[in-house]
This record gives sequence, C-alpha cells and structure tokens, in this order.
Amino acid sequence: MSIWTKLETLDRRWVYLMVSIAVIVPFIIEAKFPISITPEARKLFEAVEAVPDSSNVFVVFDYYASTTAECEPMSRAAVRHFFRKDCKVITLTNIPLGGPSMSERVTREVALEYDKEYGVDFVNLGFKYGYVAVLSGMGTSIESIFPTDNSGTPLSELPLMDSVYNYDDIEFIFEVADNATAEFWVSIVNAQYGVPIGCGTTAVSAPKYYSFVQSGQFVGLLGGMKGAAEYELMMDQPDLAVRGMAVQSLVHLLIIGFVVLGNLGYFLGPRKKKRSAF
Amino acid sequence: MSGVELFQIWLVAFATLALFSFMYKDNPFYRVAEHVFTGLSAGYYIGLTWDTIIVTQLWNPMMSGRWWLFIPGILSLLMFTRLSPRFSWVSRTSLAFVMGVTAGGALVFQLHGLVLPQIQSTMMPLWGSEGVGTLLLTIIMVIGVISTLIYFYYSKEHKGVLGMTARVGIWFIMISFGAHFGYTVMGRVSLLIGRVQFLIEDWIGSFGQIG
Repeated sequence: MSIWTKLETLDRRWVYLMVSIAVIVPFIIEAKFPISITPEARKLFEAVEAVPDSSNVFVVFDYYASTTAECEPMSRAAVRHFFRKDCKVITLTNIPLGGPSMSERVTREVALEYDKEYGVDFVNLGFKYGYVAVLSGMGTSIESIFPTDNSGTPLSELPLMDSVYNYDDIEFIFEVADNATAEFWVSIVNAQYGVPIGCGTTAVSAPKYYSFVQSGQFVGLLGGMKGAAEYELMMDQPDLAVRGMAVQSLVHLLIIGFVVLGNLGYFLGPRKKKRSAF
Repeated sequence: MSGVELFQIWLVAFATLALFSFMYKDNPFYRVAEHVFTGLSAGYYIGLTWDTIIVTQLWNPMMSGRWWLFIPGILSLLMFTRLSPRFSWVSRTSLAFVMGVTAGGALVFQLHGLVLPQIQSTMMPLWGSEGVGTLLLTIIMVIGVISTLIYFYYSKEHKGVLGMTARVGIWFIMISFGAHFGYTVMGRVSLLIGRVQFLIEDWIGSFGQIG
C-alpha cells in the first residue's frame, strides 16, 4: 500500500488528534502570530470613537452560548470602549437561550473595571420575544416593549432611562450577532430610524455582511475571532481573542497542510490511474 | 473561588469532555451530556417564554387595565386547536393574522431596508473613484454582479455570449463558496479554541483550588 493510499484511508481520529495538539500546544508555549487590522474593523473602531462622550448607546447580545468564543470578546471590547468614553450602555438581546445571562455577566464584569453603577451608567433590558415587533416597537417607545429591566425593576426607577425614550435618544448600536437578527437591525432600525449600526458577527456569517459595510448600512464589521482580536488590539487591551488567534493561525496552517496532502493523494494516488483508464 | 463556582467549572468541564468524547466514538457519557442539554434547553425556553411573554406581556398588562390584550390571548389559544384534527381549521384564523402581519412587515423591511440599498450600492461610478485599486474592485464587482445574475437567468439556453458570461458567473460563485468555507473553518476552529481555553485556563487552573 503506497503512502498516498494510506493517507486516503487514514482514520479521521488521527486528524482530530493532530488538530487537538495544534490547539493545545500554543496555549502552553504562549505562541504569538502577527494580527493585521482590516479596513472594516478599523471603520467600526473609528465610528465608535466618533460617538460623542456620555451618549446613550445600545450593545446588543444577539448570540447563543455556543458561539461565545467568537462573540463574547467582541461584546466585551465594545462595552469597554463605550465605558472608556463614559457612554451610557443599554444592553438587550433577542436570543432566549443564554442571551440575557451573558449580557448581564459581561456588562457587570466590565463595569467593575471602570467603576460604573447599574441603573446610572448601564442597564440590561434583557430578552423579549419576537424581534420584528421588538425592534419596530422600540422606535415608538422602549418602555412599552421593555416595561422592566432584566431583573424586573421598572424602567421608571432607573435614572439612566429617564433620558431614553426611543431610538431618537440612541447615538449608536453595536450589534453582536451569530444569526440573522443583524439583518433586522439593518432593515428596521437603520433603514427606518437612521441609527448607525456597527456589527460584530461570527466568521460563518461575516462574508454575507461585508456587503452591508459597502452599502453603508453597517459602519464597520468584525468577522469572527479575528475581528474581535483586531478590536482588542485597537483598544490596546489584548484579551481572549488575541490569545486565541495564535492558536487559530497554527490550526489554519495545519488545515492548509491537510488540504495540500489530500489533493496530492488524489492526483498522485491510484485514483488518477483509474481516471486516465476511464 | 467559592465552592459553588468550583462545582460549576467542573460540571462545565465534564459536559465539554463528554461531548468531545464523541470524536473517538459514541459512548454513554456523550449521550448523557446530549440528553441533559436537550432537556435543560427545552425547560429553560419554556420557563423564559412563560415569564417574558405570558406573564409580562399578556397577563400583567391585562390585569392592570389593558383588557383588550385578551384578543391576541385568545388568538394564541386558538393555535392549540391544531392538536385536534376535527377543530384544527379554527387555528387558521390565528395563522392568517400572523401571515398577514409578517408578509406586510417583511415587504416593507426587506424592500426598503435590504433590497433597494443593496441594489443602490452596486450602482457605483466607474470613473472618479479613489485610486486605481478602488476602480479595479468596482469593475470586478460590476462583472461579478452581472455574470452571476446571468447564471441564474434560465429563460434562454446558456450558449454563446450568454453561456460564456454565465461561466464567468460560476467562477464568482465558486470563489464566494471558497470564502464562505474558509470563514466557516475559522468559525468552527474558534469554537474549539474557546472550549480548550476554558479547559486549560479555568478547569486545569482550578486544580490548585481543591483541598
């Protein structure tokens, strides 16, 4: 049996083992790979920088727990950026499973770093079912859609919400999504109410959303863990995503190696002879 | 680190390793983790729906004077008639309402918010662009949009100029698939990295807290 035949019949568990090693080793030896900043990520960072200090902003946690590795570094960096500018951060989610608790945890952890107070500097509106009705309804009145915050406190008892009635009072929306809700923020909130939106999304969704940056419907875009790492670097606060990117680069090299080997096996192995005979 | 936090970390680590064990082969640990996740998700979703919709958006407002909300309440209840073959036709009233609202809303949102702005953004001036690079990208985009649209034009056989243009369209579609696949690989690897990061930093990091 030639080496190419052996490769073609290789048990997939060997591939899993090699990928696992490639993921674990860089964490142990703390490997570093360069990270370049894409124009889309820079645009988003600059748009957030341009938001007037102390403005009211939305940070939307539209992602499930399954994509935390990609999305949480983005939302964490976004909340940090807004708190650094003394902005008033209002968080909400259209995702029932995990969304409300993740927004609560991330915002409260970052708030501790910047000494921010709940109800005054940030509010978590939590989850409400039916995103089309929710996004449309907040254009009229946020309180009519979210009468209480995530903990059941009436919005009228939260000082921050005194100055926030509807989208007219929101300067910027930072949407972090792993699903199609980002499109509804564009088609309902940006198109109907003109609120600028920046988007952080999973790598799987990113190619679809580049066209929204080109059309100006998103002011910028973060794609996957790479996008999150870029934002962390622009913030000068490297964190989870930057650490993860070294691993990412190594695994990509391994996968490229697998693709090259697979193709060599296909063209140099016995299958080529069969094809030529045919 | 409190005992509860330590327990949480070990529980999450067990669930992660149990699910990863499927990569070797199917086993009872994997099945336990899978079933617990399915049950928990369903229970959590029911609880959340009950609290955020039935109680907060329907029952509480009705009790505080917005009595007219009983109309959507009844429409929702009518949906349960689908469980009975004899009375399932009654649910069509609710479905008709949902379809009407969804179609009406979607038409405005999709057309005004997505289709028209996307069409508009492909209508770019070739001349007067910022630099040669941008001009090249604009030309590539125009060729890509036209050839891909022609590939999906089925009213005439793809022969001659039409066939050649459609073939160019296939190249653009294939390149787009490649980009999507590359990003998908990156996304899936990121999820693995997230889990391994947790296992190394949080779980193995918690070993020192025991005892």
